[in-house]
Amino acid sequence: MTETGELLRNLLMTAWLLPLAGFVVEIFFGFGLFSKNPRHSKGAAWCAVGCIGTGFVCSLIALLVWVNKTGGHDTYEADKGVEKGWMSVIADHNHGLHPHGDGEHAEHSEHEDGDKDHAAGGEQGHEAEGDTDSHDDKDAHAKPHNEEASIEGGEWQLASVTAEESEEHSETEDSRSAAEFPTAFSGRLYTLGEFGSLIVSLDYYIDSLTIVMFAMVTLIATCIHLFAIGYMSDELTDDYVDHFAHTSDGKHVHRPGRFYRFFAFLSLFCFSMLGLVLAGNIFQVFVFWELVGICSFLLIGFYTERKSASDAANKAFIMNRVGDFGFLIGLMVLWTYFGTFNFADINDEGQVTGGLFSMISRSTEGEDLGNVRVDEDGAVLITSPEGEVLQDADGNNRTIPYALLVVAGLGVFGGCIGKSAQFPLQTWLPDAMEGPTPVSALVHSATMVAAGVYLTGRFYPMFTAEVLLTIAYIGGITLFVAATIAIVATDIKKVLAYSTISQLGYMMLGLGVFGWAAGLLHLITHAFFKSLMFLCSGSVIHGCHHEQEMPKMGGLLKKMPITAICMLIGVLAIAGCPLFLGLHFSGYHSKDAIVASALAFSEKNPGHFLLFALPLITAGITSFYMFRLWFMTFWGKPRDQHVYDHAHESPWIMCVPLLILAPFAWLCAYGGDQGDLYVMLTKDAPAHIENGVTAVGDGVVLPEIQEMYNQHEAAGLWALTSAGIGFVLAFALYGMNLVNLDEMKKNLGAAHGFLANKWHFDDLYDGLFMRPAHKVAAFCAWVDRTIFDTTLHFLARLMVIIAQWDRIFDEKVVDGFVNLIASATGDFGERLRVFQTGRVRQYVMFIVVGVVILFAVVFSTFPG
Amino acid sequence: MSALFLFFAIASCLGAVLVVISQSVVRMAFWLVVSLGSVAALFFLADADFVGAAQLLIYVGGTLVLLVFGVMLTASGPYMKIETSPGETAIAGVVGSLFLFMVISSTPSGSAQLTLDEDGHTVVKRTGDWEAIHDAVKPATSTPDDGSFDDKSDGNTLRPIGWALLGLRPDRVDITRETEAGKKKEAADPASGPTAAPGYLLPFEIASVHLLVVLIGAAYLARAKRRSDEAS
Amino acid sequence: MATLNAYLLVGAVLFVCGVICMATKRNGIGVLMGVELVLNGANVNFVAFSKFTSLGLDGQVFSLFIIVLAAAEAAVALAIALNFYNNHLTIDVDRGNKLKG
Repeated sequence: MTETGELLRNLLMTAWLLPLAGFVVEIFFGFGLFSKNPRHSKGAAWCAVGCIGTGFVCSLIALLVWVNKTGGHDTYEADKGVEKGWMSVIADHNHGLHPHGDGEHAEHSEHEDGDKDHAAGGEQGHEAEGDTDSHDDKDAHAKPHNEEASIEGGEWQLASVTAEESEEHSETEDSRSAAEFPTAFSGRLYTLGEFGSLIVSLDYYIDSLTIVMFAMVTLIATCIHLFAIGYMSDELTDDYVDHFAHTSDGKHVHRPGRFYRFFAFLSLFCFSMLGLVLAGNIFQVFVFWELVGICSFLLIGFYTERKSASDAANKAFIMNRVGDFGFLIGLMVLWTYFGTFNFADINDEGQVTGGLFSMISRSTEGEDLGNVRVDEDGAVLITSPEGEVLQDADGNNRTIPYALLVVAGLGVFGGCIGKSAQFPLQTWLPDAMEGPTPVSALVHSATMVAAGVYLTGRFYPMFTAEVLLTIAYIGGITLFVAATIAIVATDIKKVLAYSTISQLGYMMLGLGVFGWAAGLLHLITHAFFKSLMFLCSGSVIHGCHHEQEMPKMGGLLKKMPITAICMLIGVLAIAGCPLFLGLHFSGYHSKDAIVASALAFSEKNPGHFLLFALPLITAGITSFYMFRLWFMTFWGKPRDQHVYDHAHESPWIMCVPLLILAPFAWLCAYGGDQGDLYVMLTKDAPAHIENGVTAVGDGVVLPEIQEMYNQHEAAGLWALTSAGIGFVLAFALYGMNLVNLDEMKKNLGAAHGFLANKWHFDDLYDGLFMRPAHKVAAFCAWVDRTIFDTTLHFLARLMVIIAQWDRIFDEKVVDGFVNLIASATGDFGERLRVFQTGRVRQYVMFIVVGVVILFAVVFSTFPG
Repeated sequence: MSALFLFFAIASCLGAVLVVISQSVVRMAFWLVVSLGSVAALFFLADADFVGAAQLLIYVGGTLVLLVFGVMLTASGPYMKIETSPGETAIAGVVGSLFLFMVISSTPSGSAQLTLDEDGHTVVKRTGDWEAIHDAVKPATSTPDDGSFDDKSDGNTLRPIGWALLGLRPDRVDITRETEAGKKKEAADPASGPTAAPGYLLPFEIASVHLLVVLIGAAYLARAKRRSDEAS
Repeated sequence: MATLNAYLLVGAVLFVCGVICMATKRNGIGVLMGVELVLNGANVNFVAFSKFTSLGLDGQVFSLFIIVLAAAEAAVALAIALNFYNNHLTIDVDRGNKLKG
């Protein structure tokens, strides 16, 4: 393990464990320690903010260290043969091969609150000038670079990135570029236990995806913590009146405020989420996977007095369990055949060697089955990091049946379906909006639900082509279904929730069509703009005194301009709006990448044309419903004068996070597939995605990454057209009110009803699972009552009768016998005490008489 | 010899009876002296000179003085008498007679015989009387005739019992040697080493320590203490 | 005349007298004297068997030990008697009936 690895490990561990410490402090001491008036104290909140803020600083340092160390060389080489999984590739490459080896550096900027830096993408020279966040001097060494030429020439080579925090590092650049640097760090933090050959341990696995996720999660979490201080401030009271919960006599529920507890849960969630990202083995992932599930449960049910909230919490938890069941099956299969949970192992020299990911050998030669090495029986060979086939104790090659590998992949993906609210388990996420809005922003849009996508991306090397196709279709169905429901939703948070599901579907689709980097890029960008939009909606709700229905809003642009502008940025980002000078909104880049991947995929597999059509249509729908949301909320005339009159802009502590997140939502994907974020993500991409997968039999063909790049222009145009149509429609319907909406609703009643009822998914599940379950339960209850209870009652009565007889026997016989002995002994003693005269002389006499009698007896018995 | 024995036997028995009959403690003590002294004389007559001397010294000289001391210390008045009820005396007389009769009748007078079987073990045959037993068994205190050890001419000295205390038993016929030497009876030669019989030296030593302990214990018990009875 | 049975008879008389003495005397010292008589009766028997049977010197040694132990017993018993007297201001053993059942 190198010094860098240890430094990164320590930084990320600090960021990971600080929220745990914060949680402990807040939950045990948060009430009453920080203030004399505990219900009015914000101490717990500032503790949580401090922890996660420090965590963000640590993550940021880690990011900078990482960029600094990896910037000098590339891990991807198109002409390289079989790459070994995600393992470190020490490329002793020639700079001359890479025309843009000296890329612009990533840069950071200090914001006014001083707690955050931003690795904004610095691209090629002419674009970097537009980077308003960058204030550093630009090194004038950026070479002129022709993007198109590079791509067409087969040099899809990603832009190298160098980073320097300050000028004094610049002179080390040359030496650094030649340094060998592994691209993944892994190791063991703590061994929890060893059960035979099964080692359950806490590991860490740090690669660029981990680093990026850490920075993203901690940054968003910090902003949302700050926002929550303002949003949850009405909990700072001894007598909180919950207007949405009623006691049995119809009054509002009164309860003490739970401000500190909210932040304790938030801290626990941050710890769990970061642990999930840092985890170095799939079992550890599972543990933290469940932990974030618990946190989600606690936070959704935060207003536990409301039946809807507690129901929603239960629903979320139970539906996640359905998915996690698949996850467990996947884990069992993996353990049975691979004997390890680790992503990567550490050899004696401390180098990262192969773990789970390198045990499936990807190869382009020989008897391949979807790019996976198999033996003559069609079972997948398990290999060492060096590509040698591992052998078991009997000397046979270790293999895993192909079908079981598919099962394992589907199982793990099943967990992702539950966590990321994919079809058919998507119905819990809209209900989860019962939680406070900061929770929706942090847990149910930006981070936790993205964990499913993250795991799918992380576990990519284990997925076979069939599993990927499943993922793609699941994503495709999800994104379309959710988007259509979002059209008719009127609750501002519900719209965003369905939008989240839809966008998660996009990510899954991107991953499924072999657009690994596209899916994960969308994960990051979506996290920023969706958390921004949720915070904006929270600001609106807070400003409108907990009014969530959009039909009662309107014209709020004047009342809350900051919120409106930030929301507009988010809407533009999610709609995928391009802008001049390359300042495209982040959604443009990420969605473009996904659509391009889908296009490349469907060109290779014409039978799966739907996988391209669905995201394309949905891009338009997305644009439509997001602008609908914005127009209904902020544009036009107030629909409810009462709400409008009382609306106000939120306090500064809620606006500042919006202002921080807005630039990220806009520009985090700056540069697109040449940008820093994308480059960084792809640095550690699974090796086998590079060349695609050739078809086996009638299987699918997975496109080469190069082909996806070739589709960017076309896909971008398609998506833009679709989004433009959506925007025009939305502006016409909601911005200018060209059509009477009520008339339209009446005319399209069937469709509207269908969508408003969420495609009847809840009804379907109700009919499919709930009612049969109730029927079965009723039957079981009947059986219980009539058969089992009768039998039991009969047995019980029999027992009572037997017991009564037993009692009589006990009292008369057993007790009588014992009492008899006791009384006999007592009587004997009573008589005997007469002889105990206390007079010594009499005793002597007794002895003498006794001896005489004894001798008399002896002599009479033995005469002579 | 037998007249002397008869005299002392009667004296000792009479003394004992008078101890029982006497009502005064001092008289009892006197008759006890008579009885114990006569027993000492009987010991002398039974060739147990050392035991007799010890009886005189310890009992008559020591224990009796101790008892008289006790009498003097506990006497609430001169010539203290604590009467026993006549009924008790009568019962005691009857029981005592019965006991005496029982003891005497249990002596195997003329009904048992001690013989030696071929292995040299003593076997009791209830056919003879004590005289027969006496004839069958070599007298215990008989000494060899060669006079090399414990010459009779020296009188009944302490030598045998001194040897016995040391574990050397000149009175014992070494049966093993006897059988080896063709039934010829030989005296156990002290020079030939101790026989298998253990000596009494250790018990003797223990008895002396015991006496010391008893002295200390008696002194502790007898020290003057304030009693609750005195207070009340 | 001086037969074993004669000795045994003397021993028996001494013994029975001692026992009777123990049983009848209310004076504690008298009881002690009875004990001495009992022990002496045993002594006579030992010495007699020592002389007339193959018991040999063992009988004499045993009687010696009995004499010694009797002396010790007398010392302790007298101490007890003195304590008894201190407690009850009398030597009447019938007063010590606290253990009456």
